[in-house]
Amino acid sequence: MVALKLIPHLLSWAGILLVLLRGYSERRSVVMKTSITGFTGGVAGAIILFRTFPETIPFGSIKTALAVSFFLLWVFSVAAVYSSTARRVPISRRGRFVNTSLCAGAVAFLAGMVAGAICTCRFPATASNTLTFIVLVLAAGALAYALVFCVRIIERLLPPSFTVSPSGMLIAVVAFLLFSSSSILRLDLFSPLSMKVMKGIHDFVHQFMESILIPDHLFVRSVVWKYIGILFSKGVGFWGGMVIWFTPAFLIVLAVNFERLPSVAHIRQGAQRRKLLAAAIKARRHRLVIPLLSVVILAAAAYQSSFPSTEYWDPKPIPISANQSGEIIIPKKGEVNLEDGKLHKYLFKQGDREARFFIMVTPEGQLTVDLDACAICKPDGYGQAEGSVICYYCKTLIPLETVGKPGGCNPVPVVFSVKGDNVAINGMTLINTWGSTVQATTRVKEGGK
Amino acid sequence: MAETIIETNGLTRSYGDICALKPLDLQVPEGEWLSVMGHSGSGKSTLMNLVGGLDRPSDGSLRVGGEDLLALSEDGLARFRREFVGIIFQQHHLIPYLTAVENVMMAQYFHSVPDEAEARTALERVGLGHRLKNRPGELSGGEQQRVCIARAIINSPKLLLGDEPTGNLDNKSTIMVMELLKELRAEERFTVIMVTHNQEVAAWGDRTIYLDDGVLVREERMNS
Amino acid sequence: MLLLAVLAMASSLATALGIVSSSMEKRVAEEVRKYGANLVIIPESARLDVGSGGLNFGVVSEPSYLQQKQVEEALVKSALKAEVSFHLRGALQLKDADIMVEGVNFSDIRRLFPWWQLKGNWPAAGETIVGSDLASRMKLKVGDIVELAGSNNKIPLRVSGIVASGGEEDGLLFMALPELQRALGLDGQLTLVRLMVTAGGDSLKKSASALQMLLPAAKVNEVRQTARTSEGLLAKVKLLMLMVTAVVLVSAGSSVAGTMSTTVLERGKEIGLMKAMGGTRWEVMLIFCGEAAMLGVLGGLAGYVFGSVIAQFITKTVFSASADFIPWFAGISLGVSLFLALLGSIGPMISVFRLDPVRSLRGE
Ligand SMILES: Nc1ncnc2c1ncn2[C@@H]1O[C@H](COP(=O)(O)OP(=O)(O)OP(=O)(O)O)[C@@H](O)[C@H]1O
Ligand SMILES: [Mg+2]
Repeated sequence: MVALKLIPHLLSWAGILLVLLRGYSERRSVVMKTSITGFTGGVAGAIILFRTFPETIPFGSIKTALAVSFFLLWVFSVAAVYSSTARRVPISRRGRFVNTSLCAGAVAFLAGMVAGAICTCRFPATASNTLTFIVLVLAAGALAYALVFCVRIIERLLPPSFTVSPSGMLIAVVAFLLFSSSSILRLDLFSPLSMKVMKGIHDFVHQFMESILIPDHLFVRSVVWKYIGILFSKGVGFWGGMVIWFTPAFLIVLAVNFERLPSVAHIRQGAQRRKLLAAAIKARRHRLVIPLLSVVILAAAAYQSSFPSTEYWDPKPIPISANQSGEIIIPKKGEVNLEDGKLHKYLFKQGDREARFFIMVTPEGQLTVDLDACAICKPDGYGQAEGSVICYYCKTLIPLETVGKPGGCNPVPVVFSVKGDNVAINGMTLINTWGSTVQATTRVKEGGK
Repeated sequence: MAETIIETNGLTRSYGDICALKPLDLQVPEGEWLSVMGHSGSGKSTLMNLVGGLDRPSDGSLRVGGEDLLALSEDGLARFRREFVGIIFQQHHLIPYLTAVENVMMAQYFHSVPDEAEARTALERVGLGHRLKNRPGELSGGEQQRVCIARAIINSPKLLLGDEPTGNLDNKSTIMVMELLKELRAEERFTVIMVTHNQEVAAWGDRTIYLDDGVLVREERMNS
Repeated sequence: MLLLAVLAMASSLATALGIVSSSMEKRVAEEVRKYGANLVIIPESARLDVGSGGLNFGVVSEPSYLQQKQVEEALVKSALKAEVSFHLRGALQLKDADIMVEGVNFSDIRRLFPWWQLKGNWPAAGETIVGSDLASRMKLKVGDIVELAGSNNKIPLRVSGIVASGGEEDGLLFMALPELQRALGLDGQLTLVRLMVTAGGDSLKKSASALQMLLPAAKVNEVRQTARTSEGLLAKVKLLMLMVTAVVLVSAGSSVAGTMSTTVLERGKEIGLMKAMGGTRWEVMLIFCGEAAMLGVLGGLAGYVFGSVIAQFITKTVFSASADFIPWFAGISLGVSLFLALLGSIGPMISVFRLDPVRSLRGE
């Protein structure tokens, strides 16, 4: 049953295989072999990584690989546009290299490896339980075999005029990989990307304001603030991320669209000339299919990352009050078991001031009390996913190991003490920390008023 | 001896119990100009449609340009028509709301891609350089028929079929059209099959066959 | 051309009805708001008959009161979004006759009871407004000075306006709440709180019960008759519109189909020619589909424009309000028109697909 969760990932790999097979139609066997070897290698490598290192390292390295591939895509797409608009079509060394079986094999191998590694990332924890692990591997293997079989049949069924340009291959491979990874929270690229964009713009605006507007800061009209507010809104990050996300795909579409048609002026007979042209146009149109499809896949990836299907553990805050001496006392094993590894939210009210905080035990067994807010974002709170908590506002994942440490988008830690079987927090400190943190963040985020 | 472009064996076409074409054996060598004569209802148009890939025979074999037309699918036949055959009809069948050039370009469109310059040249070649932008309704019968010829030859067909192309024309226009066809054939070297009721028109060809009730009754070779 | 007109008409009707019904919804919501309070808070023991025309003195002579402070606190705690007006009712003497006097905050009244028809002005300090019945009974005019006798003092007030609402208010005299509270010696006491909660459906009930929890000594009642009936009416009108739209769409669809098939029939020769020139069946069909789609798009755009105009007209004449300009209805209009055009031409397209070039060129 669990193996079903692998289907999107396996399908992505199958998609990659299909595109590569069609792209390197003369080197089918090479592509097939290297892709399968790469995939198994990727699975095995990832398992070994997960066994030998803490989880952050394999996740980090795979994410880096994805980021590098996306960056490569950018470079390649720009190059594609450049060369397609160039006067002559140069058969450069690069162009020839792309067609060698070495390159075909390398691309297929690398893509297969990353795809395999992503598959493994779906179940990092299972690597420890041998029996379920073997069953899972067998099921996945069977699925993968069936898929490979289907891919071969489908590939044969496609019309021969349906070709894929090198840039089309690359975009499809990257799109499939990103789609595959987007459903795994810790491999997702899109949310961090839009976050980075947002932060970049925030920083820029800050600098700008400080350097230019400070003298008459207070007199800036509210209208202006509204526009500055737009720059600070979450939409900026999202749309900026979208632009970066889709630009290479559109560049490649453009590049294919701008591809020069073969010169036909030397053919005297009109009908023949037109026929050649028509064939070229048709082939070009076919070559557009894969990049356009990749746009759709990328969109799906972005969607998946913006609306992840992962369910967060997000309990309702329990209202709580302090005793006479202003201390909040929560028993460790009272109504809720604080030491079950989940985060438990509380809401503390004092007068008209309130503070939200949570208590949880990190994987190292350390109890920690933190605000349900970080020092930089709007206090939208945190949810708990596998191995991490996520800031709802900026979608940053904070590994459970680092919860309780200050800095960045980590939840702001609160001083507490353990008194016997109880956790004790000073209500006043709590309220004050909340007040200072939240005020600081909301003021900036809401546009300075 | 040139290669045979059309070869039929026992070609039959019947509509229900009416047999429009009795088993017919016919060979046409490449480059020939064949005239087809016969009284009304004798199956001339039926033969033309079969050879042009517009219709399918009920029986027999039919090879045109090395292609077995019976084996082709519906779309395969369409492809055969666009690349191999040019047809001129008695009733012109020009599209009334398109100009002369556009009518020619339409044939290009279905063949591959439209090319206006080429369509203009073709029309100039049939002597209609001054009437490019006129609609068919503004052209005389002879001029319309010349547009049809331009349209038929625009895709450089191997086979030009004419179903009574001069049926509606007076003597002078007829001669003009026939002269034009002869000229074009000298340049492009296509095979011509032309249905006609007119003995004089038939005499332009290399050979004339006579049909009667779907049967080839007589064959006559012109020597010019 | 006819086809375009049909498509435009159908999509414009769909758009118009859509826009009208969505603006009507808003309008009715506003209207419901206009009916004012939808929750009332009364003291636990008091009896209140809404709309029954006043209280009898028996009840008032032994009244219980709401504490204004408590109610205010409860409202803050419940975080309800509501317009509130506080009322205190009591009897005072005017020219030796007992009259019912209601203490209110006039600014709240103006917001909650916009339908009151006032002759004269809203009162300033030391002024009062008088219900129309009472005014005629007591022969009061705007500008008169009335002298009310309370339990311990006399209050002179200037009549600044005469109010007619058609309800029990016509028999009352209104004065500022704190003044009445002082006059009756009931500081901080209320007999009635009216709330206008901006919410529809279930949430009103929820708000009521939430308030009830916070005010154990009071009763929170819903006043929902008007809202309910108008909502029911709205639903019916909507259903009617939906049905009309459906009928229009069906008839437009069949007329599209009819027009399309005659066009195809008329252009049979053209289609035959296209096929004879080497167009495959799919290619030829696609050309005609494209034509239909283009008509659909044009019809949709025209329909949106017409539809907006029609909607404007309808709402102007029927509801005497202006319709909203809703851009996303362009999408609906386009979709409807395109859908109709393509659906209507399915049959004709099949005949295009099937058409035999030989027969059509013969002119059969
Ligand atoms: N679609 C059809 N259905 C039934 N009978 C047909 C059909 N088409 C042709 N025929 C019959 O086949 C016979 C041959 O017709 P065809 O059109 O080939 O004659 P034709 O020689 O071209 O005559 P014309 O010189 O008058 O054009 C006629 O008897 C005609 O009635
Ligand atoms: Mg005939």
